[in-house]
Amino acid sequence: MMTLAYRGVALLVALLVLRCMFREKDFWKQVTGALVLVPLVLRILMVK
Amino acid sequence: MSLEMNWKGNRATALGLVAAALLVAAVAGKSFTGMWKDDVLVPAPGFERHMLSEWHAPLAGTPADTPVYVQASSQPGGTVLVMGGTHPNEPAGTLAAVLLLEKARVAQGRLMVVPFGNHMAFTHNDPQEGAPQRIHLKLADGSTRAFKYGSRATNPIDQWPDPDVYIHPQSGQELSGKERSNLNRAHPGTKEGPLTLQLAYGLRELLVKEKVDLAFDLHEASPEYPVVNAIVAHEKSMELAAVVTMELEGQGIAMRLEPSPKNLRGLTHREWGDTTDTMPILMETANPSQGRLRGRTDEALVLTGRDKAYAKAMGLGRLFINYQGDQPLDLRVARHVTAIKVFLDNLGLLYPEKAILVEGIPDYASIVGQGTGTFLNPLGNAN
Repeated sequence: MMTLAYRGVALLVALLVLRCMFREKDFWKQVTGALVLVPLVLRILMVK
Repeated sequence: MSLEMNWKGNRATALGLVAAALLVAAVAGKSFTGMWKDDVLVPAPGFERHMLSEWHAPLAGTPADTPVYVQASSQPGGTVLVMGGTHPNEPAGTLAAVLLLEKARVAQGRLMVVPFGNHMAFTHNDPQEGAPQRIHLKLADGSTRAFKYGSRATNPIDQWPDPDVYIHPQSGQELSGKERSNLNRAHPGTKEGPLTLQLAYGLRELLVKEKVDLAFDLHEASPEYPVVNAIVAHEKSMELAAVVTMELEGQGIAMRLEPSPKNLRGLTHREWGDTTDTMPILMETANPSQGRLRGRTDEALVLTGRDKAYAKAMGLGRLFINYQGDQPLDLRVARHVTAIKVFLDNLGLLYPEKAILVEGIPDYASIVGQGTGTFLNPLGNAN
């Protein structure tokens, strides 16, 4: 249950990061968002 | 003049960056999941492969279940267990167990080998330690075998979250929360609960049900840690360990003999002795690649133990070993294997009904001189 909640939170944060990236006008801030996305994807998939 | 680049972002750049992030995640994920695959072992003839879940059924199908190899002679005698891989970032312990598994011929008694004590800690590295994922050993036929360099702790994908404070169930001893993922703070374990505790319980069941007379838990530690190149013995193992230490000293292999502290709970040398009829022995060699003073951490450091910072620390008198510029893995494996051999030779002298005779174990000089890999079997023989 705890793991499901964790993955749900990670998914929510990943979606918010994606939303920010597509609304952002500064390329380098988009790059920052992409960097944040990598560990979130790995955690949602329970790889790391 | 400003060096700042005011690049404009738009939906297309966002899409490109998301694709790049997914690509990086895929590459990283492939690397991480590569560690989920077990190292291939090539046991010596006569070994039967079992799983720990045969002694504690709830472990079946969980990542905590781990192979237990058993070789029994037709000649009655004692039963000895050798466990490596309690901490997979201490490779000499694992490889000493693997070497025994691949070379031993049991002529009297019974030998049990658990090469991957905490199987769940072999599937990842410690974060921020820069450790290699694998080390490679060259075999006598020129081929190479790879062995994982894992973590001290159970993989968080198998057991999480760690609490702020870990309370050892039997004693109430309080430790840092991360120790709940440390197999060597989990003994004697619990029937239910976190997997690491269940694993410890399974190991205890194995010792009790199989009436194991002598059990080894093989470790490594930092050269700056006081308990290193050491044998740690429970009260009931102390007489045997004292004889072995003297004999090793006579062979020029200095090993400290340390009594198991009665108030340090959860460790094999304490709990196996207190809760079973087994005589437990924990052994430590010196591994610079897990020490805090080390510099660049890579496969070469694991294999050679060569590190400038440790040479300097030796000059300053900060180490607990005689560090002469290196501490090769082969030397560390040789220490473990030779000490085990001397224990086996002396077990029957002190306790005739527990005698065990194991042949085929390479000697100290051969392992140091020719390398551990020389004595491992080629993967072509894997079954």
